[in-house]
Amino acid sequence: MSDFDAIDSLLDAVGPQAELPPCHVRRELRERARLSKAQVARALGVSPSTLSGWESGRDPAGEIRTKYAYLLDGLNAKLATESGSETEAAPAAEQPVTSGTAATVTPLSSPDLGQDEEGDDVELLVAPEPCVLCGRPAGQRVAGFAQHLTPADCQPTATGAPAAPLAGQPTAHTSKAPLRTTRPARATERSKGPARHAFQETSGPVDLIREAVQGALAEHRGDVDAATAALVKRAIPDAMRLLDETRKGARYDMIAHPWIPDILKKQTARGADQIWEARPKWTRHELPPGRHQVTALDINGAYLSALKTHLPLGQLEHSTGLAHDRRRSGVHLITPPEWEHEAVLPNPIGQRDEPGPLWVTEPTLRLLLRLSGPKHQLCDPPQIHESYTSGATENLLEKFRIALKDARDTAIEQGDTVTLEYVKAMYSKFVSTMGESNYNRELYRPDWMHLIRSQAFANLWLKALKAHDEGLAVVRAMGTDELHVIGDWRRVFAEGRAVTEVKVKDTYTAGTDAAEHADEGE
Amino acid sequence: MPEKNIDFGRFGARGIKGSDAVARKLDELAGGIATPVTAKRGWMARLHYLTKSTPTLKAAQDAGLTVTHRTLKAWLEGKRRPSKTSLERIEQAYRTVRRHNVARHLLRRLNRDGRGTRVEIHPLNQSQVPQQLQRVVEYRTMNVRRWDRIVGSWAAGDHQSLDAAWQDTIVDLGSQWGQYEYVTNVGFAA
Repeated sequence: MSDFDAIDSLLDAVGPQAELPPCHVRRELRERARLSKAQVARALGVSPSTLSGWESGRDPAGEIRTKYAYLLDGLNAKLATESGSETEAAPAAEQPVTSGTAATVTPLSSPDLGQDEEGDDVELLVAPEPCVLCGRPAGQRVAGFAQHLTPADCQPTATGAPAAPLAGQPTAHTSKAPLRTTRPARATERSKGPARHAFQETSGPVDLIREAVQGALAEHRGDVDAATAALVKRAIPDAMRLLDETRKGARYDMIAHPWIPDILKKQTARGADQIWEARPKWTRHELPPGRHQVTALDINGAYLSALKTHLPLGQLEHSTGLAHDRRRSGVHLITPPEWEHEAVLPNPIGQRDEPGPLWVTEPTLRLLLRLSGPKHQLCDPPQIHESYTSGATENLLEKFRIALKDARDTAIEQGDTVTLEYVKAMYSKFVSTMGESNYNRELYRPDWMHLIRSQAFANLWLKALKAHDEGLAVVRAMGTDELHVIGDWRRVFAEGRAVTEVKVKDTYTAGTDAAEHADEGE
Repeated sequence: MPEKNIDFGRFGARGIKGSDAVARKLDELAGGIATPVTAKRGWMARLHYLTKSTPTLKAAQDAGLTVTHRTLKAWLEGKRRPSKTSLERIEQAYRTVRRHNVARHLLRRLNRDGRGTRVEIHPLNQSQVPQQLQRVVEYRTMNVRRWDRIVGSWAAGDHQSLDAAWQDTIVDLGSQWGQYEYVTNVGFAA
């Protein structure tokens, strides 16, 4: 079979070359679509100067010619529909080009996906899907694309459609991404997509998540529970793949196995290392007099938001007696300042039982420095004795975080519990296994794990401070995402499920006549 | 500096041999009994591992556990405890046998059907070298496709051939490979 496929593709290549409009028309088409040379060149995989050549007298050949013809044809059609009845705007000479290539567009639409177009790859669809060329229901699928087999069926709206898949899914033609996304999803994306940037890249990472979910659902024939379980099971490798995807073309290398100082190593198999993550675990000793309605608030996606933190890039280097450097990040041995506001606010370093110096992470130190600064003046600055730091960036996991956040937002909007659970498993397991874990050996960064967790705790602490500053009484701050307050919290925090919003976990009453119940009222 | 280092550390550079770092990492990946051999729980677990089957016991004897069955029986029944030298021998035999047992599995994971494993090489520590003698040595990564020799000589406990195998691997780093003969860490996952 494969021998004949190869021969077939050779025979196709010998056929008549795609027709191109004259040079000035090529340029005009591109400029009317407000596309720069660089954009077009990138989509075609050539250099902008090559494109200049094509627009001033030279002609491309071979496969790239077919692609270029397809692009111009698409632009022509799109501009024709956009300008409505003003067909005089497009030179009359181009109209034959449209109808002439419409017949050859069928093979053109998948120049690099499968050379075997009409031979044996035609599937008959049970339920008609929209044709990729004209958008009307078609009964066959060729090389993965639903389309009409004869140009006669495709004809009526053929002028409008060819540009649309090009604008919506440019990656499909350049990077051989499998086009398994369902039609409705693509249709919404197409209508939402920004009209100005015809060749803007779709966000690849989000597609990765969507494809995984759709693949799992298809595999389990729509069984939501089974699909969720399967996705949660493969969340760690998938998160690593997503991370790789988001680091494409990034400035910094992800260093996955640096030398780790002893303080970051576990002391025993089950034990912990020496880093203090400053987990808040605080309940107010005395409530204000009277009975109160206490609201337990839940911070959405606390670890997801905490992925934005100053992460050390390379190997941690030791230093002693230096002041804090904002461009570096790591772990620090500090003597924490006295905390005198225990009655109304939790201690920013958490419930520490032993006195004396302790190893804290960057977010905790930054929080302490901020609180000791001129704006807040809540405590003295901490004393830094020793540090293990490295040059840091806040953007290392930023694209990863945005991809997950976007997927989460979309899932909430559409009530898609499978994606929601999958995303949640990805970020939470990613954080918990990025240290010394046998479940994820790709990444060995206990420092990052501590930093991200501490960032989540610091974020919660700052929310408590915000509530306190706005006049609410903070009753309890617990773990990563639990904040109990008295008062009208809706004027301070927005309610909802987005990561910037909070949701109500519980409400209960507590007060003076039953002061001892304040603690157990959860 | 394309040649091997002659007098490493003369100007204060610090690091370990790349092959030692690889062996350390492979040991880490091989896992095993975490309790130290000096604790009863530790040496008991090692003895159980080494006497699980006749071939294993044979391998242990080849690896230096040259004690009589009578002694082994007494140890396992808790009637006697091994002396300090015997403990060292147990540890040595355990490590050898464990490496040998894990090697095949580890090799398959590292070769990944010919796709290989990405290796991070963290350069030596120059913080103690006088400023004017310090050189820019970058962090490097490379994909190692064939691990057979490396894992084979590690399993056999042959430092020299492991060193040779690792050196042949890092030659692929280019003409600067001599700078990576000594490193602070070599990182890879399996």
